[in-house]
Amino acid sequence: MAAADVRDMLDLPAEGQPRPLKKQKVTEKRPEGITRELFALLGERAPPIAINENRYKGRPKWMSKLRVRPWRMAPFENGARSDGLVLRHWQRQTEPAKPALEGSEMEVDENTDGKNASETVEKDYMFAKYNIKARVPNRYTDEEYNRHLKNDDWTRQETDYLMDLVEEYDLRWVVIADRYDYQPHPVDDETNTTALVPAKRYRTMEQMKARFYFIAASMLALEHPPSEMSEAEFELHEKMMKFDPERERSRKELAALQLNRTADEVREESILLEELKRITANEQEFITERRELYSRLEVPISVGNTTMYQSSQGLSQLLQTLLQADKSKKRRSILGPESAGAAPSPAGQTPASNAPGSARDSRAETPNASAPATATATAAAAAAAAPTNKKAAAAAAAAAAAATKEAEKTVKTLTPAEEAKYGVQHHERLAPGVQFRSDRAQKLTQAKSNVQTQKLAAALAELAVPLRLVMPTERVCKEFEKLIHSVNLLLDARKVAEKVESEIRVLEAAKEERERKTKESQPEKITPIAKPEVKAEQQDEEDGPPLIPADTAAEAAAAPDPPGPATAEGEAAAAAAAAAAAAAEGKGTSGGPAGSTQGQDGASHKRSASVLSNVSDKSNKRQRK
Amino acid sequence: MNPSIPPSTAEYGGDEVSAIVLDPGYSTTRAGFAGEDTPKSLIPTYYGKYTYDCQEKLIFGDDVFVTPRPGLSVHNPMGRDGIVEDWDMAEKVWEYSFTSRLTGPRPGNPLQNGLNDTPDNELPTEMEGVETEEKPLADSPLLMSEPGWNPTKAREKTIEIAMEKWGTPAFYLARNGVLAAFAAGKASALVIDIGASNISITPVHDGMILKRGVQHSPLGGEYISSQLRALFKTNTPQPITITPHYLISSKVAVDAGQPPQAKYKTFSPEKAPHATYRTLLEARTLCEFKECVVQVWPGPNKLSGTGPNGVLNEELAKTSPGRPFEFPDGYNQVFGVDRYRVVESLFDAKAAIPDPESVFPPATQAQTVPELIKNALNGVDVDVRPHLLANVVVTGASSLLYGFTDRLNQELMQMYPGPRVRISAPGNTAERKFGSWIGGSILASLGTFHQLWISKKEFEEHGPNIVEKRCK
Repeated sequence: MAAADVRDMLDLPAEGQPRPLKKQKVTEKRPEGITRELFALLGERAPPIAINENRYKGRPKWMSKLRVRPWRMAPFENGARSDGLVLRHWQRQTEPAKPALEGSEMEVDENTDGKNASETVEKDYMFAKYNIKARVPNRYTDEEYNRHLKNDDWTRQETDYLMDLVEEYDLRWVVIADRYDYQPHPVDDETNTTALVPAKRYRTMEQMKARFYFIAASMLALEHPPSEMSEAEFELHEKMMKFDPERERSRKELAALQLNRTADEVREESILLEELKRITANEQEFITERRELYSRLEVPISVGNTTMYQSSQGLSQLLQTLLQADKSKKRRSILGPESAGAAPSPAGQTPASNAPGSARDSRAETPNASAPATATATAAAAAAAAPTNKKAAAAAAAAAAAATKEAEKTVKTLTPAEEAKYGVQHHERLAPGVQFRSDRAQKLTQAKSNVQTQKLAAALAELAVPLRLVMPTERVCKEFEKLIHSVNLLLDARKVAEKVESEIRVLEAAKEERERKTKESQPEKITPIAKPEVKAEQQDEEDGPPLIPADTAAEAAAAPDPPGPATAEGEAAAAAAAAAAAAAEGKGTSGGPAGSTQGQDGASHKRSASVLSNVSDKSNKRQRK
Repeated sequence: MNPSIPPSTAEYGGDEVSAIVLDPGYSTTRAGFAGEDTPKSLIPTYYGKYTYDCQEKLIFGDDVFVTPRPGLSVHNPMGRDGIVEDWDMAEKVWEYSFTSRLTGPRPGNPLQNGLNDTPDNELPTEMEGVETEEKPLADSPLLMSEPGWNPTKAREKTIEIAMEKWGTPAFYLARNGVLAAFAAGKASALVIDIGASNISITPVHDGMILKRGVQHSPLGGEYISSQLRALFKTNTPQPITITPHYLISSKVAVDAGQPPQAKYKTFSPEKAPHATYRTLLEARTLCEFKECVVQVWPGPNKLSGTGPNGVLNEELAKTSPGRPFEFPDGYNQVFGVDRYRVVESLFDAKAAIPDPESVFPPATQAQTVPELIKNALNGVDVDVRPHLLANVVVTGASSLLYGFTDRLNQELMQMYPGPRVRISAPGNTAERKFGSWIGGSILASLGTFHQLWISKKEFEEHGPNIVEKRCK
């Protein structure tokens, strides 16, 4: 029942077109093979099932027209065989040209056909073409053999045997070596059975190969001299001539070793391979990371004019554009619109010359990159979005902290010994920039004045310490610094000492002058010889008791001098002596008077004492003079 | 797929010439048409012999098991090493294998069927005309299989029988190792064949066996049966004697380990069959036992060794639930660790159950499967060894022992940890049992194979020695 009929029954108006026309159409469309009743059930609205094949599947037309082609047992001959063996297989009978005949006649026809067929044996067998033999070299003649191929190790018979075998097994060396079983004298076994049978030789595959390749190459060369060979032939010739049985043998030994490895060795190898894989993977990673870093470094720095952002109006405008750009672009961002607003650099907004958008995007992807991104954001933007920027900075800091934490996890703590070994140091504060330790050491040897520098150099030369350190390790540099320091101290001390000495000399000269004047003024009263003697004795008496402490000695030396400047000078001398003593005490190894090159710590006190006494002695002597 | 359209020969290279494939073994003989997937005719190689009416009668096929005729003795034409011993009977058994199911019985030679007996003084007439027609295989090429160590004489005898007695137009003799490799779809493989009388390892390279690598030892299914007998003798709670079904008239169910309560049949001495008949039927029970109970310790390590976590393997085996078995007389028992022990000597000669009465000498370590494989591989070129190890084909009905391939895999992995070891063992029972027959069926139905047949003409020209030249 069609839908139209239902409509009719229910008095519904027919859709669109008049009915008869429609029906006509339907019958036209009806595909072949479906009965009208069946098709009418389908109605005008086709069911939602795709009917792909809307034709009744009957016997195909060509089938009904054709006769059944019979099969028959057909004899055939295989072209690959030489003996003409006839086997039989089932074949489709070839269709006779005549059209179908009536029953009885057909039978007769078939019979005659069969007879004919059985008589005519198929000649061209389709599998005969697969009968392919390997190409083996031409056989040598007796003459060729005797002239070119003779070998002490191989008899002619055995060579023949080998060549036969190679041909029989189509150069399958594994099989040839397996089946190789050459009996040296098969013929005269009967004649001399009692005679010694030569020990059967075991030929290795390499020996066979070497012999065969030699023969094959020689035969090739005989056929065409190497100069006339084609390229392929020449290559083959070369390859065969270069066969080295010894090398092949050692290769096989290695292969056997490789095969018979123990489980441990196999495990070790697999671990090593794994390690190698890891290393190469890491290397790749490292290379890509470095490339990324380089590309980031090459991003051009913003040099755009920032004056337009320096007014508050410009700033607010920038903020607006940033926010808008964010809303349109970064809605998917997890951070809020305002916080995200600060993160990306306003590359799009800064006039020209800024990083391309793609670079910015790639930067924003990695957490580490967010910090430089915020840094490159113009200062104005940072200032404008101060609270949000803080947030971003905090996020960046957190990311950095996470990264360092991760790094800490991977870093192992070193013992002090290891730190010393690897030269690891910890600094309270690092000076910016790069500097060399040797430069620092060099700087120490440069004093303010040129003279002083020369003196320093002289002192170092006396100590046999090179001006430029040979091996400026951390420890050497430290020691060097100490040495320079004490040399400087010494130099200062010497300077002061010299000064004091010269002053003493001047004062003594002045004193003599004064004495002479007094002598001149009263020459009659006192005999010139006796008086100074007494004076000297007096001086000696005065000098004697306080000889040990340096300062008292100095004071004593200065005592007869007129007051005022003399006392000050004495104090200075004492101070110089003390300084010298202190320097000597402070640095035993490098210090001491300029002459003492190697000092021992133990001796430092003694020496300081001796220095002390020297100084006081000197002053005494001078005074005596 | 329209059945009226043949598959194009280019698709599979097949061209069937209605060849017959005959795969004789120690326990069974398989025969069938080439191109089929299982042998149509499967008969025991054992045959029965008895005298009736003063005439000697022979029984072939499954009939041998059925009736305990008086004086029936059972024989096997094959020797324990897989080589034919009794050629006359072997010929008859093989002939039965294909005439019974495949070619149908030919009318006997009219000269011999008694109807045309000529008096002794007359000359027989017209011998030539009938001769070719009467041969059982006159229009079917024959492909036979042989073990890899078959001596030249046996091979020549085989082709003589096929050509002269059966009149086959074309013949080929293939090694069963090669055929098993073909059945697994490989031209190069290491074939491990666990048969009834032998286990053999055959390295195959490009469809040819490597003779120096062929190894075989007698630790096959028969040996396992002898181990089972040894186990039953020393069994607790009581030694087990196997009573075949034909000796039981009725039985009563008994509890496990209780002595059987069965009524036995008795045969008077002149009516009783020969002892070999009983042995044959006992072997059937043992076969059933092997199928149902016996299990190979799957490894790792030997049954006597320790497992990876330090537990003794025997202890581990004891914890696994046993398997019950009921003998024909009703005696039944659960077999625990013993079911592993009987086959352990295939891998570890020290684990063999000693039995002084057994026909098998105690197994030596060199006869075990791993040692055979090692020797086989050492006999071939080092370059092909890894390839062989990657193509290990397991075949033979005794390889269906539960857990055999697992253990074999373990042993191989232990011996050769370096190269990749891959075992190819079909899960289908028929494919495993008839591996070499299926390979022969494939080979003999290939279009390219038909140039390899030895034709009758060639045989007549060169004599039986041609088999050495052609069937390499």
